[in-house]
Amino acid sequence: MRESMLTFISGGVRSGKSALAETLACQNQQRKGGNLYYLATAAPADGEMGARIRHHQQTRGPHWITLEEPIQLTRALQQVEPNSTLLLDCLTLWSSQVMFSSSLNEAQGLSLLDDFVQQSERMQVDLLLVSNDLNEELPPTDSQVRAWLIFQQLIHQRMVQRADRAIQMLAGIALEWKPSSPKRESDPCN
Amino acid sequence: MQLIIGGSYSGKRAFARQQSDALIWHSAYQGDSLESWHTRVLPNHQLVLEGWECWLRDLLSAADEPDLTTLRQTLQHELRALQQAEMEQGVAVCLILLEIGRGIVPIDAHDRQLRDLNGWLSQDAARLCDQIHYLWHGLARAIKD
Repeated sequence: MRESMLTFISGGVRSGKSALAETLACQNQQRKGGNLYYLATAAPADGEMGARIRHHQQTRGPHWITLEEPIQLTRALQQVEPNSTLLLDCLTLWSSQVMFSSSLNEAQGLSLLDDFVQQSERMQVDLLLVSNDLNEELPPTDSQVRAWLIFQQLIHQRMVQRADRAIQMLAGIALEWKPSSPKRESDPCN
Repeated sequence: MQLIIGGSYSGKRAFARQQSDALIWHSAYQGDSLESWHTRVLPNHQLVLEGWECWLRDLLSAADEPDLTTLRQTLQHELRALQQAEMEQGVAVCLILLEIGRGIVPIDAHDRQLRDLNGWLSQDAARLCDQIHYLWHGLARAIKD
């Protein structure tokens, strides 16, 4: 069995995904030692996106080492010490950049992500991947947006399958899907 | 009756395939009309109905000013007929429904009606089904069993 951990966290907008991922990453680093990395997939931006990034940086605190890589994820690993903890926030933005701001196709994007995960495993870097649930609304009619959604879901299913732990966030509550979903309490309505 | 519900590309179809080797697909994506499921019934098989959002769109666009209450009743009749087929003809029924109610309110009135009707259909189906699975990125969780 491999010794590094992969955690996948997804959910709706402002459901508490990043906060949970940061808490889990800190706890992981305290247990394991090594460095604590934050890999931002956002390309440096201004305006509302810039404010969003600054908000995240300020709430994270000083013990984080921030890396930025919008597309070539494995490139960021060159700056990472083995036996560390790395939080990637977020896969949604990354997948949109692969689709709309790079010359890569879906298969190349997917293998880039696979390389990133495999390389992290070899370095015994524990990964936490944050993403967004965007597939529970009316499917997009625009063919490019639809192709992105399909790519995004392909990534999600693949990462969830590979993950040791998969968590869906709902209003700040973590629903554990993997490794085991707890038995549901009997519903008094039935 | 069984219900599989989840977002787009969440693995609903793959999950349905795991349930039985004797599946009959009745699919709006292949051009099947909703009512024609009767012609597909085979004992000791699992009849899977998918593409409800397309059937709902057809129902909505067939009327000039669709009355959602009437359409909901039409769908309830269809669900009861499916349930009856299970009891009388020895076929197992599996409904695949798309979750489309967790986004921004659509600007287009037809899209809003589609979401409404789909939500009601899901509630009505869930009431009649004795087994429900919610699919999330390829994982399934029983939410009624």
